[in-house]
Amino acid sequence: MQEIALDAAINSIRVRFGSQALTRAAELPPPQPWPSRTPIDRLTGIGGLPHGRLTLLSGNGTCGKLTLALLLLAGATREFAHAMVIDTGSGFDPWTLTPFYPELGALTVVRAPALDLAGEAAIALAKAGAGFILLMGEIPEHALGPLESGANRSGTVIVGVVDAPGRAFAHASSLSVGFSRTDWIWERGQLVGLRATARCVKNRVAPPLGEAALEIRYALGARKLSDLPVQVVEVPRELTCESAVV
Amino acid sequence: MIGLWEEHVIAASEEALPFGVMPGMALRQAEHLCPQANFLPPDPESAAHLRELISSALYDLAPTVEVRVEGVAWLDVSEVVNPGESIREARRRLRAALGREPRLGLAPGLFSARLAAARARPGRLVQVDAAKTFLSSLSSHELPLDAEQLERLDLLGLRTLGAVAAIGPRELESQLGHAGRRAVLLARGLEPDQLTPWRPPLFTSAHRQFEEPVEDREAMLFVARALCGDLAAELGLRGAGAKQVCVRLRFESAEPEQREAVVRHPLSSAAELFGLIGSWIKEWQPRAPITELWIELPALEGAGRRQLRLWAGGDGASEEVTAALERLQERWGEHVVHKPRPALLSSPLPSQRFAG
Repeated sequence: MQEIALDAAINSIRVRFGSQALTRAAELPPPQPWPSRTPIDRLTGIGGLPHGRLTLLSGNGTCGKLTLALLLLAGATREFAHAMVIDTGSGFDPWTLTPFYPELGALTVVRAPALDLAGEAAIALAKAGAGFILLMGEIPEHALGPLESGANRSGTVIVGVVDAPGRAFAHASSLSVGFSRTDWIWERGQLVGLRATARCVKNRVAPPLGEAALEIRYALGARKLSDLPVQVVEVPRELTCESAVV
Repeated sequence: MIGLWEEHVIAASEEALPFGVMPGMALRQAEHLCPQANFLPPDPESAAHLRELISSALYDLAPTVEVRVEGVAWLDVSEVVNPGESIREARRRLRAALGREPRLGLAPGLFSARLAAARARPGRLVQVDAAKTFLSSLSSHELPLDAEQLERLDLLGLRTLGAVAAIGPRELESQLGHAGRRAVLLARGLEPDQLTPWRPPLFTSAHRQFEEPVEDREAMLFVARALCGDLAAELGLRGAGAKQVCVRLRFESAEPEQREAVVRHPLSSAAELFGLIGSWIKEWQPRAPITELWIELPALEGAGRRQLRLWAGGDGASEEVTAALERLQERWGEHVVHKPRPALLSSPLPSQRFAG
């Protein structure tokens, strides 16, 4: 009886607001992930970042979101013909990417001091079918719809990095991972990295899978920066707690 | 055994071959050799359909593929980088399609390859390096001549292909006409014939008929996605892309509705096809429950550009991305797009680290 009433309610919503207003999880198209080979793959629930969707990495202050975004970007330069950075005034320096061994031939940076330019660039590149777009900030609300549809059509992987996303930006994302720093890592009196928790706060492509503890070690030392890769690894929860206690 | 009465055998099954039945021989003679065989009249339509299916299955294994209705398929592997791989895959596909092992022959030409395959055990390959040597000991009845011409060869004492090869083409031409000249060239392994390459038809379609008329849009999308997947698999096999897409809905008691569009760049993957067709179905307001969904791709063209996907998965056409960047530069200035190229990475001055 309950099922019949539920079906009737679902049908009435679809009749009034269109078939796309409400979709059963079982009817959702199978997500096509891009395996980024980072700890974030587990959090997405589909084994990688979804194609044609916006993934948000957010968190206040130094919490590892940009390091992870750079790691994703470097991976994208090796796997896609076009990896784009839309720099909305944060002064993206390609030099910060070198510890991740990028394929710089595939990297293009769009400097977009004006938000309209950022939005236009993101839409044009998503529609054209660029493999990967990294948004270094928010884009205007009116650009989010065309960006979503353009990316959906071409399968572009879009990753946005922001401290605290606005409502529209958060709404447009299909996957949102919140970062928060739990601890700094010191060795011999020197700051060498940080520990953070990455929590899946929104997931439209799979059931949310909770959180992961990350340990991020910066590339430090007397050698060239590019000689030492940055390490981003997922650590067992118990180990993190122990470390935190110590 | 397939053939018309009073005419010759077109094709014979594996079981008939040990009795000496061969395609090309008179049906009366075949009946005499194998009286217990079932004799079926030819069905040109089904044979052509089967030929198309086998051709499309083998199409991507070699630059030139020809399949003949008598049950012989040729693949020109002379320019294939790894011919062994192609032959293995051809064997696998034919076995899967026919349910029995094909006989395989590898030789420098069509005639010798066919004879080599005829001498192979099912699933095995007979490889011929020197065609003339291989052919010399075989019976002259292997030549594609009619019964009267073969009889004349016997009367002339030319019982092996080696004997036929030994005489001059003009001499046999004077006896048998043009066929005689061709017979000598074949017997010498000179292979006067060329393959007629099979080309895929420039049209394809897929459809689904519903047992009960469908009103649910989600169900339509589900079916459309599956059809797009089937079409994309076929396009992938052909290396083609769709330049035109047409979707037709049939109804129980109303005129069919259709929508079509010419696309700028050929669509070849399931995601690309469904991206367009799915958006049509989402906004379609059919006037009645749907009984049948047709997706037609009336114009196909080579999707050669899409080969870039082999190297960069997931990307669109490179020219489109470049064009989009150029449009941004035209509108907002050259400085907007920056392609960093390493210059002095160790420089303490950020401006010196990259050029471009």
